Amino acid sequence: MTVYPLGAALPKRQRTTGRISRAFGASAILTMPACIVIGAGVVLPLTYMLILSIQAPDPGEVVLTTSFTAVNFVKFFSSSFYLGVLLKTIWVASATTALCALLGFTLAISMWRTSARWRGLCVIAVISPLLVSIVTRAFGWMVVLGDNGLINSLLLHLGIIKAPIHMMFTNVAIIIGLVHVFLPLMTLPILTSLDRIDRNIPEAAGSLGASALTIGVKILLPMVTPGLVSGITMVFSLSMSSYILPALMGGADSGMITTLIYQQFVVTFNWQFGAALVAVLLATSLGIVGLLIFETSRRTNKWMARR
Amino acid sequence: MIASVQRRAFGIWSAFLYVFLLIPLACVVLASFNYESVQSVPPTQWSLRWYGEALANPNFVRGALTSLLVATVATIIATPIGVLAAFGLWKSKSRYKVALDAFFALPIVVPGLVTGISLLIVLTAADTATGNVKLISGHILIVLPYVIRTTLASLSQFNPSLTEAAETLGATPAQVLWKIVLPIVRPGIIAGMIFGFILSFDDVNISLFLVDARTITLPISIMSFLQFNFDPSVAAISTILIGITFVSTLLLERMFGLKRLFAGG
Repeated sequence: MTVYPLGAALPKRQRTTGRISRAFGASAILTMPACIVIGAGVVLPLTYMLILSIQAPDPGEVVLTTSFTAVNFVKFFSSSFYLGVLLKTIWVASATTALCALLGFTLAISMWRTSARWRGLCVIAVISPLLVSIVTRAFGWMVVLGDNGLINSLLLHLGIIKAPIHMMFTNVAIIIGLVHVFLPLMTLPILTSLDRIDRNIPEAAGSLGASALTIGVKILLPMVTPGLVSGITMVFSLSMSSYILPALMGGADSGMITTLIYQQFVVTFNWQFGAALVAVLLATSLGIVGLLIFETSRRTNKWMARR
Repeated sequence: MIASVQRRAFGIWSAFLYVFLLIPLACVVLASFNYESVQSVPPTQWSLRWYGEALANPNFVRGALTSLLVATVATIIATPIGVLAAFGLWKSKSRYKVALDAFFALPIVVPGLVTGISLLIVLTAADTATGNVKLISGHILIVLPYVIRTTLASLSQFNPSLTEAAETLGATPAQVLWKIVLPIVRPGIIAGMIFGFILSFDDVNISLFLVDARTITLPISIMSFLQFNFDPSVAAISTILIGITFVSTLLLERMFGLKRLFAGG
């Protein structure tokens, strides 16, 4: 990152390049410590882990050897159990992302239409859950969805049900918890996109007879696509790799790929297979997110070039 | 007529979304004031009993001290590194600037679980670090990107002609830095520190793999408590955390504007 091609040798642009390389020299020194921290703390460990995933399983051993093997990946892809776990993880992450997109789009529009006076309060209401620890939020949902929880006691009190409904430790509980955690991350990029829209445009559509729903779907939605896509990218990859909520709200045997990963590292100590599971998780979420971004940009280009 | 029905329906829907966002937190607060030892909302009998129990729980107290230590040290180490990097990025005219910016966002982009696991592997392979050092090295990665972001956001609103004016009037580069630039970007730096501190204090994903039996952070001791117990002392300690978080959120919003932190807009 800090290596700058010493273009100062080019005679024609000597003066400007000289200045640029001097400016870059200073900024290279300034950015150096952060580059080292992130290189040593993220890039190097990640690379080490990916190499570990192509080593033969050896419980308790983390030192790399020169013999490489695909045995961990063969184990994963030849087992219907592991593939099922991966599919379930993708399913839960997709459901979470879809719900977040729907709720986040409407929430962003409602925040966008709020007057400046109340807007600060709305932003605090949306962001403060994001700053509360995920453990506390999972616990909050236990209190809401539990057998003696808010919803059950409300329904029992009103006489709608006779016995409490089991909501905790189900897939629905996991998805509710994940949507709650990631909704702000979907809402804020959409709100940023909305803020760039000229408010006269939806008004013009309204005065030409478009209903609120038409304005929302046909005018605002296409215009917030960049924010929506960045929200979807973030929420999908974070839901794929979430461990705490499935572990706490889905019970011990929640069957997400992250649960498997945790078991490999903390219970069975098969770190090579664990590293392979992480590699599969990263590749899957990068692949799906990449496909989504590719498809959106293709459609945007097509839309721009229409007529 | 239809328009007003639609508007009313949309209003109800928005209200529902805010309730959805805030209800689990509200329930934790309510449950913490319950006298009985089973979780129930709303409380049948009000009391502060579980606050006493929570503050007498050695796991929570030790966890809080560990979290406080780790978050403080990580913030102190990450802040100067982040501020320098933001200055470097701001001054940089390189065509690699965008790539460098993306590189600095890596700790946010790479999922915490993955960062935690890969750090665990490398630290185990190196076999040198002890509990607190492992946690702090992971938490520096949590704080750093936010300090860079907020400082950079403050710098981008900074008018460069101010430094030129100071130089023309005879200020030395050191004076320009201390008397002109730093006071202007200070809110950004402090916002990044507060925000990074909160995220570090609350973190579970990275810490999960870096804690050991003797050094456990507060969120992780709450998490293991939740897996085996279910009395309202966990609601009490969580309420204290929620209170602290809300106060810092208000501070951040006043000082810096929360939306800028997340959306970068």
